[in-house]
Amino acid sequence: MTDFLKKILFIDLIKGLSLTLKYNLSKSFTIRYPDEEKWLPYQRFRGLHTLNKDAQGRELCVACELCAKACPTKCITVVPMEDNNGIGIADRIAKIYEINLVRCMFCGFCEDACPTTAIRMGREYELACFSLDCAKADKQRLLAPQEIPVEFEGGYVIKARLERTKEGIRVRPDLTKKKRWW
Amino acid sequence: MATVKINGKEITVEDGTLILDAARQAGFEIPTFCYQARLSRLGSCRMCIIEIGGQKKLQPSCVTPVMHGMEVFTENETVKSARASMLEFLLANHPLDCPTCDKGGECELQDFVFKSGPRRSPFSESKRRFHDKDKILSPVIIKNHNRCIHCERCVRICDEVVGRTALGSIGRGAKIMETSFMDSTLDCDHCGNCIEVCPVGSWMSLPYRYKARTWDLKEIDTVCPYCATGCQFTIGARNNEIVRVKSKITTGINKETLCARGRFGYNFIQSEKRLKKPLLKKNGKLVESSWDEAISFIKQRFGAGKKTAGIASARHTNEELFVFQKLIRDVFKTNNIDLDSRFANKWVTSSAIEVLNLAAGGISIFDALKAEVIFVIGSAISNENPITDYLIRQTAVDRRKTLILAHPRRFKLNSSANISLRYKPGTEGEVIKGITDFIEKGVFHGNVVGDISQVGEKFKNAKNITMFLGADILRLDNGTNVVAEIVALKGLLKKAGKNIIIQPLFDRCNQRGARAMGIHPLFLPGLKKVKENGMDCGEILDAAKKGEIDSLYILGEDIVSMYPDAKFAKDALSNIKFKVVQDTFLTETAKTADVVIPGASYAEKDGTFTNQEGRVQRLRKVISPVGNSKDDLDILCSIGGFAYKSAKEVFDDIKKEVLGYKDINFDALDGNGALVKGHGAENQGSRVKGQGASEIASASPRNDTSSNPYLDEYPFLLITGNHLFHSGRLSQNDDVLIKLLAEPFVEISEEDAKELGLTDKENVKVKSSEYEAVLKLRVVKGSQKGVAFMPENFDSVSVNQFYKKGQGIARVKIEKQV
Ligand code: SF4
Ligand code: SF4
Ligand code: SF4
Ligand code: SF4
Ligand code: SF4
Ligand code: FES
Repeated sequence: MTDFLKKILFIDLIKGLSLTLKYNLSKSFTIRYPDEEKWLPYQRFRGLHTLNKDAQGRELCVACELCAKACPTKCITVVPMEDNNGIGIADRIAKIYEINLVRCMFCGFCEDACPTTAIRMGREYELACFSLDCAKADKQRLLAPQEIPVEFEGGYVIKARLERTKEGIRVRPDLTKKKRWW
Repeated sequence: MATVKINGKEITVEDGTLILDAARQAGFEIPTFCYQARLSRLGSCRMCIIEIGGQKKLQPSCVTPVMHGMEVFTENETVKSARASMLEFLLANHPLDCPTCDKGGECELQDFVFKSGPRRSPFSESKRRFHDKDKILSPVIIKNHNRCIHCERCVRICDEVVGRTALGSIGRGAKIMETSFMDSTLDCDHCGNCIEVCPVGSWMSLPYRYKARTWDLKEIDTVCPYCATGCQFTIGARNNEIVRVKSKITTGINKETLCARGRFGYNFIQSEKRLKKPLLKKNGKLVESSWDEAISFIKQRFGAGKKTAGIASARHTNEELFVFQKLIRDVFKTNNIDLDSRFANKWVTSSAIEVLNLAAGGISIFDALKAEVIFVIGSAISNENPITDYLIRQTAVDRRKTLILAHPRRFKLNSSANISLRYKPGTEGEVIKGITDFIEKGVFHGNVVGDISQVGEKFKNAKNITMFLGADILRLDNGTNVVAEIVALKGLLKKAGKNIIIQPLFDRCNQRGARAMGIHPLFLPGLKKVKENGMDCGEILDAAKKGEIDSLYILGEDIVSMYPDAKFAKDALSNIKFKVVQDTFLTETAKTADVVIPGASYAEKDGTFTNQEGRVQRLRKVISPVGNSKDDLDILCSIGGFAYKSAKEVFDDIKKEVLGYKDINFDALDGNGALVKGHGAENQGSRVKGQGASEIASASPRNDTSSNPYLDEYPFLLITGNHLFHSGRLSQNDDVLIKLLAEPFVEISEEDAKELGLTDKENVKVKSSEYEAVLKLRVVKGSQKGVAFMPENFDSVSVNQFYKKGQGIARVKIEKQV
């Protein structure tokens, strides 16, 4: 009997629609990525590595190759050289520092192994591109500051804009406009 | 014998064994710093302390011998905590900059701290710091004093083994510093043995600096390509690039030692100047070509028969040389084949082969050095065979032994010698004859500086005598006389019931092997006599001059630069219609060739070398041949149409023909190599019938040096040889060795310099009837008067230009450069 009543009064339908209606009126969870918004990861996120400098601007990496040794996928190549120009903190710097991103599994072991905290996992995660060239991150790329500053606390969705360039597609964040994602 | 209990385990060892050795025998590891087996005992680092049952204080095991019934603990808590404290003290002043330290990964301090060290340090004082930047002491040595732990291994190896005493300890207490005087390297041999023995990263190699970490390296054991001492070492390559050479305490007769050539002379392999493509002469110019074109051109043009010839260098492997002689004998059908071998004539070399008894199998140098009297003649051994020099020096400290050095020059080993003899080059025979005469008759004649009677007495009183014959003798036109005198002396001593060992000292890595492989106009492989005598190097050139040679195959030898008479050699070669040169560099000889084929360096191929003792050792491929060059064996096989696929296959064939090699297993050759064996039958075969050394001596033309018309005008006899940092013309292509010595010099005795009013390091004019050049003068106290020496390692002043064929040893005059 009740079943029959429920059927003719569209109770289930109304229940379902009310939920839909409720969410329709509540704050949206959808991140309009990549066109309008972008996820800004926490500081501890493990994205594209960064090579860092000290306060005086000297390279921290001493080319000890411990990161390369620790890496489970053996995707880091470091070749040291002598530094007579004060580029680094010691007299030894990396002549070649290269990470093969196709092999990297972003475990962060390299970061743990580094005695000088030169290599740190960054927050860039849009690593897809049109040619395999970008799968290699060389010293220059790793040393360049990433778009999201280190001090910037993460865990937000921020405004962003999709940009198509010859090099690829980039999602540029607007770091001034952030919001909690829940 | 003493029985001791080590950690409860009983072991019986010889009396006087060190506790350290006994413990190691029993299978217990004791960490050490200042202990090094071949060095004197110091007992200063206290790393090796152990507890002896019943004794309150811990004892250093590296200086304490065992006593019967002793109970030793090496791993109990007391010892462990003492060990940890020792390390803690060392670390108190240690910079611990492992990430930037080249030693990291193979550092003894790192390893011991990791294993037995404390995991904390209560020291808060600032660490001792001598300098911020590492000190570059020489083109090959860089020093970081901050890391030194004062084990003094470097000081001792330099003094006791190398014989240089370049290092010492300066300062006191924590501020002590192990270094050379004023951080200079005037006395230094640049052998890098201090680097090798330093347990930490205090001494470091400059060429290897910041090239790699130890775990990056592909390391392979192989043999040194320079002199015939035949040191074994480990080559480390990173990404197909050779970055270092290291010796190993467990391998080779050299163990942890090497000389500058061996340790730092690997850079020529990757030299820009290496030949990378075959070259063909077209319109008088060498142009690059393909392999197919070059090989088919050789096959087409190289004739066969008496008008062809082959000359090889003793830097090639046994396998290559075996195939080379097969190519010359079987394909080109001639016995005109010889080794450069300082271009002595075939009678000198064959008589030397006989007196050295090369067919009788090898004798270990360690057995040879057991003799009470060690006599070295004809080699400036400290420069020619540096590691043999080390081994002799270490033996000669034994006061029961007598070391006698006979050579016109004074060199490093002289300071360890009991008796030094000086003579004029070319009179080696007189020296030997003097000794024989003294033993036989009690009188002697001859112009020798030094006490021959004393030498004779020593010979008389000894039971075992070892004679080392240097390669100088192979350069003499009258070398057969010398050989004959040696045979006479040997016979005399043998008759008196003494044991005589005669060992060669060769300057090329595979000189002994090359002869055994049949690179000789009189001998087939296994030193079997040929049916029809071929021509030796000099005869080939003579014939060429007369236009009697059509084709010549030169394997790795630079005749134009080395043959004693450069002009003649060049003329002779230009008369040959077709010349093939197979080499790694475009040498002066290669420039005259019609076809130049790029071969491989020692690190790019497999094979074996036989050193001067007769020890067969494995050469192993580390990297692939550079550019478009090829393994020499492949090249020879494709020209000769031989089916060998690998060096091992050739070695199997060698075993069939050279009986001394029969029992050697190519794959099993390890850090000790294998001594070739003597075989009765083969031994007989080696005799050139009716031409024993003495017969040859009497039959061959004598070269009387006393009646030389140039004597007055050109008062100096010019001798040549390798400098300590160089070997032949190969090493000048090495950009590290060339930094150690970049240009030739002329060396004379102090007496002569005084007479001529010349001083050390000034520029002088050296002039012979053929050539003159301006060179830096070096003055050596104690060398023979009237003798000048020049290293033969430089194209810039090629010493063979001073020579004139037929005049024997060149004569020069030396004048002030105005
Ligand atoms: S994150 Fe992991 S896999 Fe990637 S480079 Fe670092 S260690 Fe290697
Ligand atoms: S990033 Fe760190 S671990 Fe890697 S080589 Fe540089 S200093 Fe060493
Ligand atoms: S010497 Fe050894 S312990 Fe000292 S910094 Fe070098 S690697 Fe580290
Ligand atoms: S430099 Fe090296 S070998 Fe020499 S005393 Fe110091 S730690 Fe020992
Ligand atoms: S002594 Fe001879 S074999 Fe040994 S490293 Fe020196 S050159 Fe090489
Ligand atoms: S190793 Fe024994 S005291 Fe140094």
